[in-house]
Amino acid sequence: MKELRIATTLEEALALIAEGYQPVAGGTDLVVAARGGNSELPDHVVAIDRLAELSEINSSTGGLQIGATVSHARLMSDESVVDGFTALADAAALVGSPATRNVGTIGGNVMNASPAMDTGSPLVVLDAEIVLRSARGERLVPVSDFWTGPGQTASEPDELCTAVAIPNLPSDSGSAYVRLEYRRAMEIAVVGAGAVVSLDPDGDGRVVGASLALTAVAPTVIAVHGIADALIGRLIDESALADVAALAGDQASPISDLRASNDYRRHTVGVMARRAVEAASRRATGESILVPVNRSIGIGAVT
Amino acid sequence: MTIAETPRFVRADGPDKVTGSGRYTADMQLAGMLAAKFKFAEVAHARIVRLDISAARQIPGVLAVLTDDDVPDVRYSAGLADRTLFARDVVRYEGEVVAAVAATTKEAAQAAVDAIVVEYEPLPIVDDLEAATADGAVLVHPEWESYSASPGIPRDGNVASHSSVVRGDVVRGLSEADIVVTSRYVADGSHAAPIEPRAVVAQWEGDKVTIWSSTQVPFAARDGVCHTLGLPTNRVRVIVPHMGGGFGGKCGFHYEAHVAALARAARRPVKLVFTRREEFIAPDRRRESMIVDLTTGVKSDGTIVARRGHALLDNGAYTADSSFFPQLAVMHLAGPYVIPNVEIGAELVYTNHQPSGSVRAPTAPQATWARESHTDEVAAALGMDPVEFRLLNAVETGTVGPSGQTYDEIGLTDCIRKAVAASETAGPLADNEAVGVAVGWWPSIPAPSGAYVKIDGDGAGQIVTGAQECGTGSVMTLRQLAADELGMDPEEFQIVHQDTAVAPYDTGATGSQTLFNNGRAVIAAAGQIAEQLRELAADRLEASSADIVLSDGAAHVAGSPDRNVSIAKLARTASYCELLIGHGSGPPPSAPEISGATCAGDAGMAAWVAPQFSCHAARIRIDRDTGVVRVIRVDAVHDSGTIINPTGALGQVEGGVVMGIGQAISEGTVYGTDGRQRNPALLEYKLQTAADAPEIHTQFVEIFTPDAGPRGAKGIAEAPNVPTAAAIANAVTKLIGRPVSHLPMTPERVWEATR
Repeated sequence: MKELRIATTLEEALALIAEGYQPVAGGTDLVVAARGGNSELPDHVVAIDRLAELSEINSSTGGLQIGATVSHARLMSDESVVDGFTALADAAALVGSPATRNVGTIGGNVMNASPAMDTGSPLVVLDAEIVLRSARGERLVPVSDFWTGPGQTASEPDELCTAVAIPNLPSDSGSAYVRLEYRRAMEIAVVGAGAVVSLDPDGDGRVVGASLALTAVAPTVIAVHGIADALIGRLIDESALADVAALAGDQASPISDLRASNDYRRHTVGVMARRAVEAASRRATGESILVPVNRSIGIGAVT
Repeated sequence: MTIAETPRFVRADGPDKVTGSGRYTADMQLAGMLAAKFKFAEVAHARIVRLDISAARQIPGVLAVLTDDDVPDVRYSAGLADRTLFARDVVRYEGEVVAAVAATTKEAAQAAVDAIVVEYEPLPIVDDLEAATADGAVLVHPEWESYSASPGIPRDGNVASHSSVVRGDVVRGLSEADIVVTSRYVADGSHAAPIEPRAVVAQWEGDKVTIWSSTQVPFAARDGVCHTLGLPTNRVRVIVPHMGGGFGGKCGFHYEAHVAALARAARRPVKLVFTRREEFIAPDRRRESMIVDLTTGVKSDGTIVARRGHALLDNGAYTADSSFFPQLAVMHLAGPYVIPNVEIGAELVYTNHQPSGSVRAPTAPQATWARESHTDEVAAALGMDPVEFRLLNAVETGTVGPSGQTYDEIGLTDCIRKAVAASETAGPLADNEAVGVAVGWWPSIPAPSGAYVKIDGDGAGQIVTGAQECGTGSVMTLRQLAADELGMDPEEFQIVHQDTAVAPYDTGATGSQTLFNNGRAVIAAAGQIAEQLRELAADRLEASSADIVLSDGAAHVAGSPDRNVSIAKLARTASYCELLIGHGSGPPPSAPEISGATCAGDAGMAAWVAPQFSCHAARIRIDRDTGVVRVIRVDAVHDSGTIINPTGALGQVEGGVVMGIGQAISEGTVYGTDGRQRNPALLEYKLQTAADAPEIHTQFVEIFTPDAGPRGAKGIAEAPNVPTAAAIANAVTKLIGRPVSHLPMTPERVWEATR
């Protein structure tokens, strides 16, 4: 017999999780995996979708705190996310279908720890921290330390992801997430890339800071090392973008599977990386590129 | 009434379907109903050394477990009887049914399936079409010679059927050519992938069984049950609730007999509903993979002088309805061109893959993709514009086609000119855009078909037809034909259909034939009532029945519109004397002559009744860095004869184009070395979505076609699926400079071709 409890307070949810209950919010991973026969539904499940404190988006002077049960649909349209952390909105807007986006949550995405998760690269380049709560207290884990393997995280069994915290970007910064897609809906990342680019506020267009992360080319979403060194002091021109693509391709360790060969992934992740950096740098100059980049520029554009 | 004056047609089943009130087979609930589950082979080729169902029988709630031991010893299939309901000794593909269970719940049924013990001795997997046809190949059916087959189907070893068309002298033709081009193309298999996975419910009452099934062909389903379970046709009734699509995937006899046998054994009604994975791996209807070799010789002026061609088609483990596929493939490799010297053959090859069967225009999208890609290669070798090259060689009214058929009035060259002209209105091409053009053809299929029409005392009409509605709307168009015949409004008719015990025979929603054949039947049936009404009106209006005209709901005397009586009044009169009942069938059109060609393995598909022609121009955009192709506009022009229901015909073209785009760039079955499908799921088998659909602009070249369907109509359902993939391919080639010779042309394959 399976049991579903509906938590009415966070404390109740944490107590049940400490007893071994699995949290569920949108259910887009848990239920779909069970229906698909990949993993059975847990025997004890606690619903956290009615906990109001988990569904808030709060701005502070230092940054943004996004509640764990905030849906992809809200992420892609929330003004504070779209304005300040655009890559995350780009990613949320590409997830599944309208139905998936309406119920799927950022917290579920983070805890499912798929290397193909679209919101992963944006969280990495935005230096997000994962807020974990348990009956024992609260702690923050930098996202770069959080995902330890496919489906694996640094969280303890009694911990619930309650929010992700993202620091504000410096002025004259932009971010973007770009994904390879074979079709324009109901797609899963074959490869993707998220980037943040910060430009010199004195306006000559030179890079003062950059980060880049890659989706679905390693056991976890990965940060690209050396990207800041490669770009700082340069203009985002063809030669810089070629270096971005090369760095991304070098650091990817993709597998071959049904969706693509490792060769093709290694090549296309470079393409996605240069497009993400280019879009982020254009946004850094103040140019408005509508969310998501995939629907605004290039082959996937709506018009 | 001309087509332009025809009011836009609203489907009678639309509101049910869009509001969710429509009921499908899986929605049915009967008192005491059990759930069925199958034990599938889950291996591609193996000998069964042990099959033990004793533990499964002990599971609480299990009321029946059936295997080959529990059903009559009968082999079946339309052209070639090579299969049994349950695996016997050997399993030949992963989706073969080994056993079936009925239990009080789905979970109990699944537990029983899991408790069935099957031990296999692996057998070598036959999955390579060329190796399977080589000397000494492992045979999928070592006992093939003992299987009964329709006359005229040549078989040999792993070749389940073969066909060739030979005309003129290809060797001499090629030697006289100025340029000879040779190409090889390979197409992966694909799926019909209807939204509704199939479902079957069976309930016995005494010695009669009623079966509700999501089938496109209720009469074939009924006949399959009768054949395999040894029952006369009047004890098996097949009814089809609403269907959630078929696309050919639900043609043929599938699991109706399994469920009926379970229901008989369990003495309870039984329902089977497939999962998506089962829908992918099990049914014997998927689009066959194909290897195509083509060699064409042309004169330097662009005239085609000779073509040699060969195709290997993957039959899979059993022959569903695919015996005629080689002949269709041959016709598509030849194409709608004037070619004096032809030698083209095709072989249907057994493998340990899922059986192939009629999916919308079987053989045509892949074979046309290969031929039309080759056509552009030939034009390029000539340095000739590919559209000009097609116009120069296309069949036209009065010309003789590659199989020796002389064509009556046809509109192919009109289709080409109009598609290209329409495409050019879309503005200049960006440097990552191109337009590809391809032509297609497809036969209309004559078949016997029947209908009854009655008008009751209040003047309301009822059409009782054997025709099946699979989502195309064509059955609902029958109201229009009956109404026209009787001078009534289509809204005054209701339709009773998809019930084999009630209605006369029809082939079903297959072969683009519903309106083509059943339209004739309905017109004939309505015509009998029209005759009755004219007699009744003549009496009442004191005129000759020959002078009575039926229109606007009344019978008039010709030339004196004031002398009239309403049909409702006449119907009331008739309800007290001789009732208004018509029945119709009418002789199907006969096949045209062919001359000068020899056809080995003639399956009756070398001479085409009322052939349909088409040209699609596809405008695409390419992402050169990734190989991703997006289709942004398709101009589709079709000669399908007279268009009776423009709204329905447009829907067919648009659906066919989108399905064609999927086949072109995203849909393909991937097999592992174990002979099993690796992508039997909608996440990994990439259908096109609504977001991917391009602008589609459709035109019809309407030619009244004698000896065809009603009002000079041809078929329309399959033709729109024929040339789309080919048109897209030719656009891709323009952009990357060489053909992508493997279908589907996935982003990775396009990227590989550019390297």
